Amino acid sequence: MSTEPKPASTPDSSWLPDFCSLPVIVAVMIVAELTVLVILIAPSDESQPLLSRLGTVTVFVQWIAMLCVVVLCKSRAWLQRLPRLHGVLVAYLLMLAITLAGSALAFVLDQLLNLKLTLPAQYQWRFLLRNVALCALIGAALLRYFYVIEQWRARVQAEARTRLDALQARIRPHFLFNSMNTIASLIRTEPVAAERAVEDLSDLFRAALGADGKPSTLAAELELAQRYLAIEQLRLRERLHVQFDLAADLPQDRPVPALLLQPLVENAIHHGIQPLPGGGTVRLRARRQGDGVAITIANPRPAEGARAPSRNGMALANTRSRIEYHFGRHGTLDVSEGAENYEVMLYLPDTTSQR
Amino acid sequence: MKVLIVDDEPPARARMASLLADLGGVEVLGEAGDGRTAVELSAQLAPDLVLLDISMPLMTGLEAAHHLATLDPAPAVIFCTAYDEHALAAFEANAVDYLVKPIRLERLQAALARAQRYSGPTLAKLQTSAPAQRTHLCARMRGNLVMVAVADIDYLIADDKYVRVHHARGEVLIEESLKTLEAEFEQRFVRIHRNCLVAKNRVTGLSRTSDERIFVRLANSDEQLEVSRRNLPALRKFVKGG
Repeated sequence: MSTEPKPASTPDSSWLPDFCSLPVIVAVMIVAELTVLVILIAPSDESQPLLSRLGTVTVFVQWIAMLCVVVLCKSRAWLQRLPRLHGVLVAYLLMLAITLAGSALAFVLDQLLNLKLTLPAQYQWRFLLRNVALCALIGAALLRYFYVIEQWRARVQAEARTRLDALQARIRPHFLFNSMNTIASLIRTEPVAAERAVEDLSDLFRAALGADGKPSTLAAELELAQRYLAIEQLRLRERLHVQFDLAADLPQDRPVPALLLQPLVENAIHHGIQPLPGGGTVRLRARRQGDGVAITIANPRPAEGARAPSRNGMALANTRSRIEYHFGRHGTLDVSEGAENYEVMLYLPDTTSQR
Repeated sequence: MKVLIVDDEPPARARMASLLADLGGVEVLGEAGDGRTAVELSAQLAPDLVLLDISMPLMTGLEAAHHLATLDPAPAVIFCTAYDEHALAAFEANAVDYLVKPIRLERLQAALARAQRYSGPTLAKLQTSAPAQRTHLCARMRGNLVMVAVADIDYLIADDKYVRVHHARGEVLIEESLKTLEAEFEQRFVRIHRNCLVAKNRVTGLSRTSDERIFVRLANSDEQLEVSRRNLPALRKFVKGG
């Protein structure tokens, strides 16, 4: 749903909707038909049966409306290039001109074929002017309506974009500086481990700094989580044990949001391992489940009172929103809190087949 | 100068030790991996200076600094942390200096020089240095320092100018007032008598004797603590609510 291609409409120039799109055409047709009903319900000459007048008027009004739609659709690009006020005025005048011309054509045809569907010949100007006046009123309302809708849509889009930006996972600055300190201490004593830590850290920050909404893959995300834990293991040593349990049949190339797992693994360390003097084990399990992938991240849960100050809600809510955004409502994040264990369970459905 | 290195990360301790070795003139008495051990070791070894990480299990460096300040003689404290969000709290905790990791040799040297000029916390500073809520109470028993985790405490009874702290593994005396303890740990303890605070999560119910006196029943304890008339309504409300 988020990938529906939008025609090039920057929020700034989108005062006029895309008249070639189905929703707009339908909206115009409905408004036209409502107008027809208003015309028919208004007290008037009742000499003709209502149903036949409904047919006639509908054909006429829809014809005018569709003419307007076609012309506005074709001239949209040009109209959008005009200054906004001029553009609106020109579009409006175009509609009035089309109504006038269309009405005139209908009137002349009617006179020629002698169908008596319009007014008698002496009322030609009355017929034309009334139609133009109707079009002027309804057209103004409709243009205004479309304008407001477009503005609203542009704002919603902009909001969604900024929200997504804000939701992009960020690595805690502590992690960078702690890692740098670890590396500084390893350089003398364990140069090989220091080298590996620099490589892991580079991969993590490459992902974090390059995470501008481009999706990553499941395999890359699992790899990053491993690199993160490898660095933390250097820092926490025997206090941190890691168990990776990845099924062999995982869809490795499945697109997932970048840095989706890292904040959860970070939480597992921050809330599960660090407050425990003896440390514990972080378990990461990934399984295929139907078309989707189920991932579980488990860590020990320190007793109440020994817990780290909770900023936990942030990362979880953030990750949940990102999953919803990328996978729709079938993507889920559930938490199970036991007395001594804490588990985050993700379900990432297959979205590739729906596109 | 005699120094204690406190950090929950072994590589960080190793680096600090090697930096100190590079500087020379410093004797490392020991290392600790959490705040509580740091305080206990300091009481035993009496270092001149404690190099203290802030984010640690069991007890944070900030709280450990507070307990260290009550030792006699109190060691100088230099905080070493990865990120400077705690800088203000660190200076309120009476620290001599505040170093950010990875620590530079020159910066450490300057901090050590500063620590050498340090002459112990002043009493006025001590009283303002208490962190919002401690995780441990610090008591002296026959000259030894005993740390009691607040989570382990069953009840507190005012006794003359001391408070008796009854906890899972025994009882200690501390030199604090019941009133300040009540204010500091108000979510954890409830007052049942002019001289007694009880841990809320230990209360299992109330019992009434034939002579109309009310007692609190405690989990894993036969102790019966009397409730005063004045504190009864609030306590009843708590027992019903919980």
